[in-house]
Amino acid sequence: MSLSRKRNIIVRRLLQAVPVIVLSTFIVFGLLKLVPGDVAVTLAGDNASDERIAEIQHIYGLDRPFLVQYGVWLWKAVQGDLSSSLVSSESVLSSIERCFPHTLLIVFLAMAMALIIGIPLGIAAASRPGSSTDGFVMTVASLGVAIPNFWLGMLLVAFFALDLNWLPATGAVPISEDFWGAIGHAILPACALAAGGIAEVARQLRSSLVEIMSSQQVRTLHAKGLSPSAILWRHGLKNVSVNLLTVISLLFNRMLAATVVVEAVFAIPGMGNLIVNAAIHRDFPVVQGVVFAMVLIVVALNLVTDVLYSILDPRIR
Amino acid sequence: MTDANRTTGILSRRDILALAGGVSLAAMTNLPAFAQAAAKKGGVLKIAAPANPSSLDPATGGAGSDHSILWTMYDTLVEWDYDTLKPKPGLAKWSYPNPKTMLLDINPGIKFHDGTDLDAEAVKFNLERNRQDPRSNVKADLTSVESVEVTGPLQVTLRLKNPDTALPAILSDRAGMMVSPTNIKALNGDTNRKPVGAGPWKFVSWADNASIVVTRNETYWRPGRPYLDGIEFAIIPELATALRSVIAGENDMSFSLPARLKPVIDRAKNLQVVTAPTLYCIQLYFNYARAPLNNVKVRQAVNFALDRQAFVKATMSGLGEPATMTLPSSHWAYDKSVSTLYPHDPAKARKLLAEAGFKNGLDLTIGGYNDQDSVRRSEVLQAQLGEAGIRLKFTRGTIAEISGQFFATEKKYDVLLSAWTGRPDPSMTYALGFDKGAYYNAGREADPELVKLIQQSRESEDLTERAAVFAKIQRFIMENALSAPIAFQYELDALGTKVKGYVPDLLGKPKFENINLA
Repeated sequence: MSLSRKRNIIVRRLLQAVPVIVLSTFIVFGLLKLVPGDVAVTLAGDNASDERIAEIQHIYGLDRPFLVQYGVWLWKAVQGDLSSSLVSSESVLSSIERCFPHTLLIVFLAMAMALIIGIPLGIAAASRPGSSTDGFVMTVASLGVAIPNFWLGMLLVAFFALDLNWLPATGAVPISEDFWGAIGHAILPACALAAGGIAEVARQLRSSLVEIMSSQQVRTLHAKGLSPSAILWRHGLKNVSVNLLTVISLLFNRMLAATVVVEAVFAIPGMGNLIVNAAIHRDFPVVQGVVFAMVLIVVALNLVTDVLYSILDPRIR
Repeated sequence: MTDANRTTGILSRRDILALAGGVSLAAMTNLPAFAQAAAKKGGVLKIAAPANPSSLDPATGGAGSDHSILWTMYDTLVEWDYDTLKPKPGLAKWSYPNPKTMLLDINPGIKFHDGTDLDAEAVKFNLERNRQDPRSNVKADLTSVESVEVTGPLQVTLRLKNPDTALPAILSDRAGMMVSPTNIKALNGDTNRKPVGAGPWKFVSWADNASIVVTRNETYWRPGRPYLDGIEFAIIPELATALRSVIAGENDMSFSLPARLKPVIDRAKNLQVVTAPTLYCIQLYFNYARAPLNNVKVRQAVNFALDRQAFVKATMSGLGEPATMTLPSSHWAYDKSVSTLYPHDPAKARKLLAEAGFKNGLDLTIGGYNDQDSVRRSEVLQAQLGEAGIRLKFTRGTIAEISGQFFATEKKYDVLLSAWTGRPDPSMTYALGFDKGAYYNAGREADPELVKLIQQSRESEDLTERAAVFAKIQRFIMENALSAPIAFQYELDALGTKVKGYVPDLLGKPKFENINLA
């Protein structure tokens, strides 16, 4: 594949990302304004009065038309200013800078676990479909999908943190300050997050591998006299890599979303925590900022996936 | 749990107090002195705090959960007695030369963390700012103040529009937290995140939803204080997680826990548990400006239908006090004669409903919150009122959503199941919840007699006289059934074994000044 084609794909995808970002922030903004509740009530505090709430709405520009409020936010965001929290006045950018590494660490760790454990399980199951190994792996995988991650999280804490005292039960340490401390804090939440991922990787890998192994191409390879293991490792896995890539990219997005729950269970001050707290108080600059950052990550990930697709399978343009 | 004795100690102390009234007060004030003698200095206390503060500027913030954090950095002009909330001198002593003049005499030699003198000018600056700054959330607290004058280097005189003896208690709250004028002027409006006060600890850092750190104020004006070198708050809104962090030893203390976590604390080894009464009152708010709750018989029927004892048992594991008015029995203005107005009597409730024209029962729309504890309460409530023929149709959502719909302009629902967190002075509770046009009075209407009584409750300086007026207000509110108080929630805190000297307060918002680490 030529370099210019690769560049074309990237530029096209980036241009497509612009409307996605604008539309998603607009929809989230709309949702925040549509649901009942107003940040002015939070700001007015416990001793609120009707006059005080109206006054606050005026001070913060909350009484202006919906589109004007969105327009002001968007105009600032385009210039790189994500505003500040209406409630605590912390700059949204610095909140995100602090929170995002915590979330990404858990997701990457969970992803690594999902692949390191899920891929061998999937291969083991697919190499002898219908065997007892296959049955065992698929049962475990079904369990992994079915178990809610917050419940698993609590069990993990009860056993590994409170009973055995091997790992911390709550909190997070910035990875820039203390690498091993950060990993230690991230292991349990990552496990809770990874359970579903392991199951999904194993199941998807198994089913596509089984399909490939029963294809005419594989029959021909057998006829050519290639050993079964060579067929599996050299031809089978290469053929399922595109499928696997799709699973990984979808899984990453889903894990990012699931951190909202896992972070609450483990008291990790990450993006999930940030957006939940902001949404409760209708603190829209923070919610918008988090959504903005998440959309950027997802768009970037899809871009990488697309480029990898075209490398793994030259037929994809 | 290793400190069961301490718990029962606290409870029985309160019981004695309730029985003996003011007599035991003098004895109680010796307690902190005793704690002081045994206290050890040093160490950093790690606390799991249940909420991110709305602001670290007392004037601009608004959440009731802020106080515990604010008090570490800000001292107040007036303080209160932990057990009864009776006001006592703080940074200043107050007096009323006449009903429309209040004098504040500031203790000499106090400085803010930045070295600015805490003198009459500084106090005047604070009170004027609280009264007039557009961003101030405490303006309403100081409406009775006409002018603030500096009448000496350490004396400020407040001229009042009308007599207001709630002011001492008001000055123990946000309005009395003194901020450094130098700092506020330098910050030029952006005051939420750089606090400078005169409290026992100085601000170090605040990361939203993650942590707040404060460190010892070496020049604190109270000799020998503070005990702790610093406090690190970890902000953990999920309270079961907060408790786990204490069990795992990552934090030393977790406060304002729900009663359902009590068995978890009891099971854990090496934890102390503290429970104590608070002003936090779970109650039904009525919109009595419109049918059907504009009929007093319907409101009374709801009150008779409630089985408050059973409610406390079923939803709070017994860690509460049945509420027969908006003040708990240990409060200085509690009036026992009001407490017997509404025994549990479903038959009486049915009879009242029939008299009001609802022979076949009555449907009421009610708003509630969607957290675990609120849902449980709403189910018990539904069963209790159902027995008397009152069918509740619940709509559940977040606090911001549902309370906004009920109290603000929409006026949805007849009833709201919520709580009143309490205020240092009872008159604040009545002014905010029942006065004409008050936000927490959903219908905005009020009987002229009640309005007059609320006004009257701020006229006398004498607590006995004030208590008599509050008794009248309580009787009026309960006889007219303007709300249905259900239960006072006990404070529930979990402490690591090395935490010594913690004293809970009736407001239910912990102060950490007495804590020392063994």
